[in-house]
Amino acid sequence: MRQRASTLLIALAAVSALGLTGCSPASVTPSASSTPVSGGTLTYASGDAEPSCLDPHVGGNYPQALIATQYLESLVSRNDKGAIIPWLATSWKESADGLTWDFTLRDGVTFTDGTPFDAAAVQANIAHVQDPATGSSTGYLALQKITSTEAVSPQVVRLHLSAPDSALLESLSQVWVAMESPTALKRTQDENCASPVGTGPFMVTKWVKQDSVTLVRNDDYTQGPADSAHTGPAYLDSIVWKFIPDSASRYAALQSGQVDVIDNAQPDTIVQAEKSDQIAHLDAPRPGASNRIELNSGKAPFNDPLVREAFIRSANIDAAVKSLFFDTTKRSTSALSSAEALAVSRPDLFGYDPDQANQLLDAAGWTKRDADGFRVKDGKRLTVVFPVSTNQSIPAEQSLFEQLQATAKQTGFDVQLTPMDLSSWYGALAANDYNAVSAPYTKVGPDVLRILYHSDGITPAPSGYFANLAQVDDPKLDALLTQAAKTSDPDARADLYTKAQNRLLEGFYLLPLYDQQNHYLYRTTVKGLRALPTVSTPTFYDAWLAA
Amino acid sequence: MSELEVQATLSRGERSRSRGRRVTPFEVLAVVVALFLLVAGLLPGLLAPGDPLGIDPAAAFQPPSPAHWFGTDESGRDIWTRVVHGAGTSLVIGFAATAIGLGVGLVLGTIAGMLGPAVDFSVNRLLEVLFAFPGLLLALLFILIFGPGVWTATVAVGLSASPGYARIIRGQLLAVRRSSFVEAATVLGRTRRQLLLRHILPNTLAPLFVLGTLGVGQAIVWASALSYLGLGAQPPAAEWGAMLSAGRTYLTTAWWMSFFPGLVIVLTAVAATVLGRAIERRARYA
Repeated sequence: MRQRASTLLIALAAVSALGLTGCSPASVTPSASSTPVSGGTLTYASGDAEPSCLDPHVGGNYPQALIATQYLESLVSRNDKGAIIPWLATSWKESADGLTWDFTLRDGVTFTDGTPFDAAAVQANIAHVQDPATGSSTGYLALQKITSTEAVSPQVVRLHLSAPDSALLESLSQVWVAMESPTALKRTQDENCASPVGTGPFMVTKWVKQDSVTLVRNDDYTQGPADSAHTGPAYLDSIVWKFIPDSASRYAALQSGQVDVIDNAQPDTIVQAEKSDQIAHLDAPRPGASNRIELNSGKAPFNDPLVREAFIRSANIDAAVKSLFFDTTKRSTSALSSAEALAVSRPDLFGYDPDQANQLLDAAGWTKRDADGFRVKDGKRLTVVFPVSTNQSIPAEQSLFEQLQATAKQTGFDVQLTPMDLSSWYGALAANDYNAVSAPYTKVGPDVLRILYHSDGITPAPSGYFANLAQVDDPKLDALLTQAAKTSDPDARADLYTKAQNRLLEGFYLLPLYDQQNHYLYRTTVKGLRALPTVSTPTFYDAWLAA
Repeated sequence: MSELEVQATLSRGERSRSRGRRVTPFEVLAVVVALFLLVAGLLPGLLAPGDPLGIDPAAAFQPPSPAHWFGTDESGRDIWTRVVHGAGTSLVIGFAATAIGLGVGLVLGTIAGMLGPAVDFSVNRLLEVLFAFPGLLLALLFILIFGPGVWTATVAVGLSASPGYARIIRGQLLAVRRSSFVEAATVLGRTRRQLLLRHILPNTLAPLFVLGTLGVGQAIVWASALSYLGLGAQPPAAEWGAMLSAGRTYLTTAWWMSFFPGLVIVLTAVAATVLGRAIERRARYA
């Protein structure tokens, strides 16, 4: 009896799961008024992993950047043309030799705990990011060239560099090196992770783990980055920042009006939303690297360039992108995001060509096939271990990997996809237990190439994460990237990055897929929402809710 | 059992004999479903000649049609083909898990029932501890330790069902042990081994057939539940729970991706339950 009852119960649960469909609420007439109104609580639902620390100095991933953009501010920002604009710093000056930078800070800014924002605060923040105890990876790598800091006056801070850094301003615009209260930073890391204190338009007041973070307006706020639509405090009273990892539930919550904005929207829901007059779409591809599959050249079988090229030639990415993404994105053949002006695209290198793939594998000595049709050499199967982070790859991307697995099988690759949660995935990478991996990396500007493909990136950052997952170890490429990072002349810099990208792409270390997808869907009652042109995180400073 | 009780039992059996033997339409349907699953499991190519993993991106997200009876999924794989080929996985999981559950349950139950009060006491306390956790939770714990996959899920489901079997087997064993024919055999000087193998176990195992039939259905549902959670069969394997999970993402745009795998899970569970009850009724009144 017990058994039968539970069988039926589970069967019932399966049936009710099937019955779950999105229901559209009654139609709402969009407000004709375009004058912002203050007040109201906006609910945001994130599909990214819930951060384990709300201070983006620690570690430094995109989920942290999404939320920290609401309460932390950087020295500089970037406008939609890609130019660096003032934020907490009003002006800056590079010395002739490129080794010292002076930043003049905005007057009268205080952190939300009352601590004044001054040169000493900037010093404390850079020291915090560079302190190995903080365990920073993204911020740490971005500020690697800063050797020391100096308070010239309370309003002027001087940075000393080990080498000229053409990417310094771009690096400083990122939320992973945003300014936090030095008083708050003195607390234990656990305390600071739970309630970081910044100068931003909102402040963290409550964090219910596995559920939501509550952000309340900072009433003393005076102005945002130079391209903001208004000055003074934000319009919204508060933001409830929820975590809804399941994409179907997230979209259903948006449809029903339980939440106002969602991120990580699925391609099929974007197409659906675009037909709706209640939901709008904000597409903000992330800067930095494209979404790509890194081939681990540090170990077999991808230590052989022929096998790497064969793998790339046996992947039918174009067909997969077309079937899974419904024209919400385009195929990329570049290591960099299309948001980067210096991106080099090489469609000639990444086309689907199974015949050529077969020839390459034959040439590489993988001539025999086993009973399952996979190629073997010296008794070993041609296996590609591919850990997939289910937190970072949306279902459509996971399906794309399955299609890749199916097409690569025809040429004899045994692609072993293993879906994992974020911490197991980091663990697999740290243990070098992968042959292929898709790892998003966001950084403002082409300097991301140095972080991802310079041989220095094989050495782990203090957090234990190493960014050069393709394990590219090419002295000529290193030289080009190092030189480019030192060069501030725009033409010479562009030339160096072009050469570096061509060398990288021709080495078949990576398989570009598309831009890092960053689609927000929001109810049309939300006005004034935009993505910050630094790392494309949404900012709610100018946002307001229409009645 | 007194004579009066025996007579009462007999007359009750007499009255419901005709009802017990009549085949209901539900039972016919259940047999049809079971036969279909058996054919699908043993000879999937007969019902669906295609490749369950073969992709065709150009034919993705097609609704049910004469060409694709159950529609296609996000990679253009035919869902009918995948459902049919998934039957084998589900049946193997269902039977293997039930076998594991019954096997472990039989060993524990026999130990408890045969080796005296001290052992009985210890085994019972162990079973009580295991009963304190819902079965699926035990399975989740097992998977957490040994990692996701079809075989860990099968073993996990089997193990988490075993305390239930063990307790039923123990009870049955104790009842049989006290019956007069066993007493007679004891008096005749049979050894404990002879008693167990020749008299007790054969009479204990009959009800297990019913339990097993019910258990296969439950095991299939549990294994699907684990795959749905991403802990059993891994994508792109043609497994019902995994397919249901993959389809969930596209529930609002491509309902057929989750509807048909869900339907067969429900049909399988219901068919196993109906069949198990039918066998139980016949076994009791035969």
